[in-house]
Amino acid sequence: MPTYNLYMGCSVPANYPNYEAATLKVAEALGMELIYMDGVGCCGSPNLRAIDYFGWLVVNARTLAIAEKNGHDIVTPCNGCFGSLKDVLYHLKHDKEDMKKVNDELKKYGLELKGNVRVRHVVEAMYTDIGIEAIKAKVTRPLDGVKIAVHYGCHILRPKDVTEINPENLDDLLRATGATVVEYPLWKQCCGATVLPVNEELAIRLAHDKLKSMKEAGAEFAMVICPACGNQLDLQQFGIKDTYGVEFNLPVLFYPQILALAMGMSEDEVGLEMNRVPADPILSHFVE
Amino acid sequence: MAETKDKIDPPVTLVEPIDMSRLDSSFRKEIQSMPDGNELNACFACSTCTAACPIANQWTYKPHQLIRMILLGMREEVLSSKEIWECLTCFQCQERCPQNVRVTDILFDCKNLAAEEGKVPDSIKGLAKELIEKGQLYVITADWEREDLDLEPEVPGMSTDEFREILKATRTGKIVGGE
Ligand code: SF4
Ligand code: SF4
Repeated sequence: MPTYNLYMGCSVPANYPNYEAATLKVAEALGMELIYMDGVGCCGSPNLRAIDYFGWLVVNARTLAIAEKNGHDIVTPCNGCFGSLKDVLYHLKHDKEDMKKVNDELKKYGLELKGNVRVRHVVEAMYTDIGIEAIKAKVTRPLDGVKIAVHYGCHILRPKDVTEINPENLDDLLRATGATVVEYPLWKQCCGATVLPVNEELAIRLAHDKLKSMKEAGAEFAMVICPACGNQLDLQQFGIKDTYGVEFNLPVLFYPQILALAMGMSEDEVGLEMNRVPADPILSHFVE
Repeated sequence: MAETKDKIDPPVTLVEPIDMSRLDSSFRKEIQSMPDGNELNACFACSTCTAACPIANQWTYKPHQLIRMILLGMREEVLSSKEIWECLTCFQCQERCPQNVRVTDILFDCKNLAAEEGKVPDSIKGLAKELIEKGQLYVITADWEREDLDLEPEVPGMSTDEFREILKATRTGKIVGGE
């Protein structure tokens, strides 16, 4: 059984326990052993990178070093954590001087980073280590081809030399549940999460544009793999209603929720009622 | 009717004339020495980055102009701009740049330089404070929701002490301490 260091971050457990629960259940069903990492903290987010590059390096290097010690890859369900950990590892592997400076700090905690650890998004691990065929074999009630738009998220796609993720793999994962992947013009565009603290109006505009693009392309649901993107596209539909008077009514689900349901799990098991825009219309699309 | 004798207005330029005396020629080197600045000089001002940017239309300084301003040494303007803080960090500009200029990463470098001078928007300062005080950005408030889903009320293994200790000693501590 493949075993992983599970790095949960702080946003998923605080804001989207439904995503956390669905991830754990799907992983178990797929035969992936996820072990919560011991003694790790927050990744700091791009906001920390913006104001305190060195501090951001050290806190993330610490997480990487803890994982390296026990030898398993890190998996995370959050694009923000993924981006931070991946970026820090990439930088330190290419900058010996910073690697040394960071290790001088880590020594205080009895840790050392060599740079051998691998950082992965949990859904990418599903794709690569379990494989589409094995996932399909677990799908007992596929979706009926319902149209779902995928929002990948910036920090999982870019910069590509750092993230090493192919968006088509996420499409394949979604198709494995029986859904149809909707192409839409703004598929690459940001959800606006990062700018929320400094310019809320702009953040709402970006979420609005994104949802509009999905909706116009015929999407009935949206899929996300990040709590921050989830927040912007799901919860923010209420902000959009206040600002633009537009109701998109586009339910947003985390990939493991969709997969868990297609594997026959119940809506309670994936916390479907916690999705802000009611997502239960998805239930009518499963072919029993 | 238009006559050739009509007075012609001065051409519309994208930027105000540059005051040479205020340029800081070391700014370019400063950015180049930072983590992702090596390719800075390769910029040939094609504005592809700006074409890729989803929010450049509402910016006074567009991404290609910010890069040009760095090359020219307009340190003060760049580090005081609202643009560097509004950047979504979406990496669209960086992905498209034909010269491999790491535009988004360079804007991160600019924010770090601004932060070193204490120029941090209040909302971001607020986040820094949260990080130092709570050791995380989001704290679990609804543990019953977690228990309903068979999750531990607290994240197993989560520890905030070391995180706070590290950041207190780095620039975050300085930014928050300087309140
Ligand atoms: S895309 Fe690259 S080369 Fe073109 S203006 Fe932007 S930074 Fe310069
Ligand atoms: S990273 Fe910033 S500058 Fe670049 S395209 Fe995105 S918002 Fe524009």
